[in-house]
Amino acid sequence: METEKRFLGVLTSSPFRIAIVYSTVFAFGAVALLGAVYFAVSRVVDGSTDNLIEAEVQGLREQVQVLSRADFIELVEQRSEDQDVRGAEYLMVDAQLRPVAGNVPAWPTAAEDQGKWVQFKVSVPYGDTTREHEVRARRFPLYGGYRMLVGHDVQERQDVKNVMLRGLIAAVVATLLLGLGGGIWLGRRILAQAGAISAVATQIMQGDLSQRLPVRDAEDEINKLALEINRMLEKIEQLTLGMRTVLDSAAHDLRTPLNRLQATAEAAIGQLEPGSSERRVLERVTTEVDRMRGTLDALLRIALAETGTVAREPVDLSALVASMVELYEPVSEERGLRLVGSVVPGVQVLGSRQLLAQAIANLLDNALKFTPAGGHIKVLLQTSDGVSAVIIEDDGPGIPADKRELVLGRRVRLDEARDLPGSGLGLSLVAAVAKLHGARLILDDAHPGLRVALRFG
Amino acid sequence: MHILIVEDDQVARDYLARGLRDVGHTVDVAADGIEGLQLASSLPVELAIVDRMLPKLDGLALVQSLRATGRKYPVLILSALGEVDDRVMGLRAGGDDYLTKPYHLVELLARVEALARRGDGAVSEASTKLRLADLELDRMTRRVTRGGKKIELTAREFQLLEFMMRHSGQVVTRTMLLEGVWDYHFDPQTNVIDVHISRLRQAIDKDFDKPLLHTVRGAGYSLREDE
Repeated sequence: METEKRFLGVLTSSPFRIAIVYSTVFAFGAVALLGAVYFAVSRVVDGSTDNLIEAEVQGLREQVQVLSRADFIELVEQRSEDQDVRGAEYLMVDAQLRPVAGNVPAWPTAAEDQGKWVQFKVSVPYGDTTREHEVRARRFPLYGGYRMLVGHDVQERQDVKNVMLRGLIAAVVATLLLGLGGGIWLGRRILAQAGAISAVATQIMQGDLSQRLPVRDAEDEINKLALEINRMLEKIEQLTLGMRTVLDSAAHDLRTPLNRLQATAEAAIGQLEPGSSERRVLERVTTEVDRMRGTLDALLRIALAETGTVAREPVDLSALVASMVELYEPVSEERGLRLVGSVVPGVQVLGSRQLLAQAIANLLDNALKFTPAGGHIKVLLQTSDGVSAVIIEDDGPGIPADKRELVLGRRVRLDEARDLPGSGLGLSLVAAVAKLHGARLILDDAHPGLRVALRFG
Repeated sequence: MHILIVEDDQVARDYLARGLRDVGHTVDVAADGIEGLQLASSLPVELAIVDRMLPKLDGLALVQSLRATGRKYPVLILSALGEVDDRVMGLRAGGDDYLTKPYHLVELLARVEALARRGDGAVSEASTKLRLADLELDRMTRRVTRGGKKIELTAREFQLLEFMMRHSGQVVTRTMLLEGVWDYHFDPQTNVIDVHISRLRQAIDKDFDKPLLHTVRGAGYSLREDE
């Protein structure tokens, strides 16, 4: 399965496709080049034998004028047996096509007719066996019904042509195979490099900014690209770590005095009579410290989520959503609301369980806050086409369409919510957590009420 | 109990020391990491409260070297960073609990109490039956009875009761419950925990004369026999 996938990967890789195109082009080139050579050589070879035969025919025609029949037969026999002229074929037949002289056993009857030329096969002794040889010949009439055939064994020439043809086919096949092989090799090489790059990219996306692309000891484009990207990653890491450091010191510098304030106020409260006005003032102070802490926590978490430096791990989203429903169900019932959950099992996402829980809690806090008693809240976890979505739907007043964009901004509270508790950072945090997880936050009309969806993937 | 506080902020340190002495602990304080390490090595410390960011020797490094030298007493880390992964780092370095500033003294005292009790080994992890007065919880059979009468609980109510029984006699805060029972580390704006507790109270106290689950004003809850 895995190897099959990798093989398919090679087949669809761009170097492999390029190799296929190039080897096809080269194969066409080879066909054209070798084809031209083949035809040129054929013409020369064919032409020279044809000329030889023509000359011989011419000579015999002249001889037949001057020689007696017996002398002419003698001449034909002589030429037939002449070992110097290799491959020459003669046959003289009478009117009944019976051989009179020559080294061809019989007058070719079923020979392929090419105008005045004929081509036929004769058996030639070849070691212990015989071999069929191709003979090309011309026929012409002598006198008194006698006829003459002058030809030449063209088997050798045929053999040369066959060898050339086989060579041509082999060259084309070899070009294609080499191209294919080279393409697969190149494809695998590029795929391996691309695979290494995308593995690193995935790790970086998961928040491990210390990852770098593998660099080889070569001067090619991919290597140069990897070096450039690594320099860019270096910069991003520095910026992000810088941001994280700023966040950490901001957190420290704000939490430390708040903690001191809290300690001082609490210490003083402990020494005051319960119900005294001084004590009430200090209790107000600690309440405000709690509120500031809440705001600070939210702001820091938003900033943290936006730096993307949160460690990510596989989170069982189904279990998380189910447990949030279970956590909020009693309080909903107490407020006269009906909270129901519908969760598909087995949904996993890569991310921060705590931040996802906080985001869902913020959405549920909002739904509880804005839905009047007697209302309904639905929490759904759905998947379709590999996209999972957490949906929280209430039948409260909802948010007008023109204000949905607005509420995602920081510290925005609609007039309707002015007198309700809250920092106005709840949805901003949800938006930042969504972004951190590559999810989309969509606010919609639930007819009536608000429908908030976190779509992963 | 002998408690060592390593905290560079003087106001916070003094208040913390006084608060712990008021409830009967012996307290020693250190203002930086090196001093903390020296005191931790020379005093019969039973529990340490360590600030995460300390001068001279970082709080996490201090906890690591305590652990490396075989000191197994509980350590509570205080942090002015307090982000999701800082907590993980703190616990990984060897801390047993983690509290973000600013905190309420009651929250810290409740956590110290819980850690101290764990160090005592008073509640064994392995014991299958937990008992308080006539209330009995069997972790193996997941059966809860009070006065011999079976009490029906949901899975979560069972977990909640188990947590409360492990910490019986102590104050347990809402945050401790959300962390200990649900493993969530944030403050919900809604009083989700209170309603869970009141459901549990319905289940275990309603039909009985003596209530076991008490509300501790301004702090949280406590499961105990009323004296």
